[in-house]
Amino acid sequence: MKESTVIIQGITNPLALYYAEKMKKTGTNLVAGIAPGEEIAAVAGIPIFDLVEDVVLKIGKIDTSLIFVPPYQVLDAGLEAIASGIKQIIIITPQIPPLDMVRLKQKAAATNTVIIGPGSSGIIIPEKLCLGILDQEFYAPGNVGIISTTDYLSYEISLALKKAELGESIVVSLGKDDITGSSWQYWLQYLQEDENTKIIVMTAPLNVIYEENLAEYITNSLSKPVIAYFLGLQAPLEKNFKDAATIIANQLSYSVPSDSRYHLLLDTFKQAKIPLAKNPSEISDLVLKIMKS
Amino acid sequence: MSFIVLKKIINYEQNFAITKKMDLLEYQAKKLFNQVGIPVLPSQPIHDPRELKGLQIPYPVVLKSQVSVGGRGRAGGIRFVENTIDAIAAARTIFNLPILNQYPEVILAEARYNPVEEFFLAIVLDYQLQKPVLLGSITGGIDVEKLLANLQKVVIEDEFSPFYARRLVTKMGLKGKLIQSVSEIVEKMYYLFLRKDLDLIEINPLGVNSQGELMALDGKISINNHALPRHGDILSLIALDKVKTTEDTVINELGKKINWLDSFNQKGNIALISNNLNLALINWDLISQAKGKIAGCSIIWQEYQGRALPNTDSINELELALNYLKEMPGIEVILINLITDAKTIELMAEKLANYFQLMAQQIAIEKGTDRVERPTGAASRNRRKTNSKSSSITVKQDTELQIVLRLVGEKTEATKALLDQLPFYWTEQLENAINETITLAN
Repeated sequence: MKESTVIIQGITNPLALYYAEKMKKTGTNLVAGIAPGEEIAAVAGIPIFDLVEDVVLKIGKIDTSLIFVPPYQVLDAGLEAIASGIKQIIIITPQIPPLDMVRLKQKAAATNTVIIGPGSSGIIIPEKLCLGILDQEFYAPGNVGIISTTDYLSYEISLALKKAELGESIVVSLGKDDITGSSWQYWLQYLQEDENTKIIVMTAPLNVIYEENLAEYITNSLSKPVIAYFLGLQAPLEKNFKDAATIIANQLSYSVPSDSRYHLLLDTFKQAKIPLAKNPSEISDLVLKIMKS
Repeated sequence: MSFIVLKKIINYEQNFAITKKMDLLEYQAKKLFNQVGIPVLPSQPIHDPRELKGLQIPYPVVLKSQVSVGGRGRAGGIRFVENTIDAIAAARTIFNLPILNQYPEVILAEARYNPVEEFFLAIVLDYQLQKPVLLGSITGGIDVEKLLANLQKVVIEDEFSPFYARRLVTKMGLKGKLIQSVSEIVEKMYYLFLRKDLDLIEINPLGVNSQGELMALDGKISINNHALPRHGDILSLIALDKVKTTEDTVINELGKKINWLDSFNQKGNIALISNNLNLALINWDLISQAKGKIAGCSIIWQEYQGRALPNTDSINELELALNYLKEMPGIEVILINLITDAKTIELMAEKLANYFQLMAQQIAIEKGTDRVERPTGAASRNRRKTNSKSSSITVKQDTELQIVLRLVGEKTEATKALLDQLPFYWTEQLENAINETITLAN
């Protein structure tokens, strides 16, 4: 994984520049940045190109692209990456128009491309690999695999794990948008197969989980223990509808959607006996308990 | 430790909508329908009852209150009129009729239509399937139960093509010529859905007259906020100041945005400031579990996803958020929760030290002048304005505002020393921060 080639699309974005340097320092094989028409040869020692295909011609196969371009350019950047044969795309930019994502997902499905995000913070394997804007300093190597929506949520969990002298095998941030690329199921399966991961922690605000039957999937398809930490039950989160029929029913009866969907999700986890942590420090308690048994 | 601030009273623009979409009014939706050739009745938006004197549509007409909430028919927001005199009187009544507290700014005057049948058609983005879905019911109109009982659904698996529309209308049970004509309406709806980044487009009812002609009698369009800025035509269609966004955005005197998520809890006396919404939500849950009452949270450094990048002015946002919250009625404790890098922490510690030193000086000055200002009429007027949000909140002139700082990240010894000098409690531990906040708030 360390040898895999990485590019940044939209490298002149201040966030991209800041993390490009950080990634280089941790040894990520960041081979090029894309900034059309910028007429600069390199930034922070990273060569700059106008087109993704120019990078492929010059350097060869690219494994991963990190996308930092403004929201309305994300669909195009994603399509450009796919056209150049890049099979893993991490979209850091948040708040992409949903229908742009619907289209990008169709293209990704047809080409077997993995898309993470939008609004993802990337992937990190502590002290080994850093793809995105996850800060190395908040993690430590270990056996806990974390799937989270965003960076800070995983920082908080990692801090709690650190107190119990635990660390992470891999941390993946799926993104905070309503329409995202790869699913919870995909990454749960990935961590199931990852030999360094012994325990899986999944964490997200309740209103961004749209997948049905996650608890059932975990029970039936995974042999590794899973701990879930969901947040936002007390806060006035956006009450998102999930399926078309419910949206219409609520819309027509002018009813405000209730919290019942969140309780329903929590109930399925309780019934499946998947431990639900109430706070970050309870996660490390649960991990220790599982490791001892 | 605590410090005292004099609460100055300022006006807040509160925005209580938590939504990711912008709903167009009926007359705005119909403008878009008309653009793509979905048949609509001749109509005229009326902003003032006197405009009815120059009405271009022949009587009888129907006058419809243009509000974004439902139930306008039952509330008396739709009236049938036969002549100008009746129309002006009816329009006056409608303009003065609130529907769920909303007064219309526009009334739509529309020709009348006598449908023999009414269908329901909609396209929505299904977030569970993450795909657009076509919906239709042969029993459209106001009977929601009947409508839903016959609701049919077709998922757009890949690229849209008219056969999806035909699949929907045949599932609805339509026969003969209607299959083609209703399908064409669905196609046009899909065109708008895709081109305008809609979350929802709905025609209810789609009227069918005795000749089999179709008419979109009422419609609804919701556009996704994330896409709204790229649709100039829709932006000009709606009044820009009416756009409701996800988080309450307050523009302060420096033109800086304060992102504020309100709890709608009038008893809330704890405010959160954090550099990430999820971090704030963790606090929110834990404080609520401990029976603390949250007023809301302010998220700073959003432009660069929670980072105060060097050479940007993000770092000042903490100060702006503090200034905003200390003026907010009812707030007694502010929990600042930040996870960040060493450089930012160093810079912030200095900023905070300066900020509180300056504030202490200001308090000393203002305390002297306060007694003179207090009895003036202007002050009490302002106070009422601020209190319009809630009459139960009494604004105290002198309030003890407590601050708890939870700061995670590498710190030098010098930074630690600086933080220790701040006039409030700071910690690295989540639990300690929560406990301290709860203790101070009770």
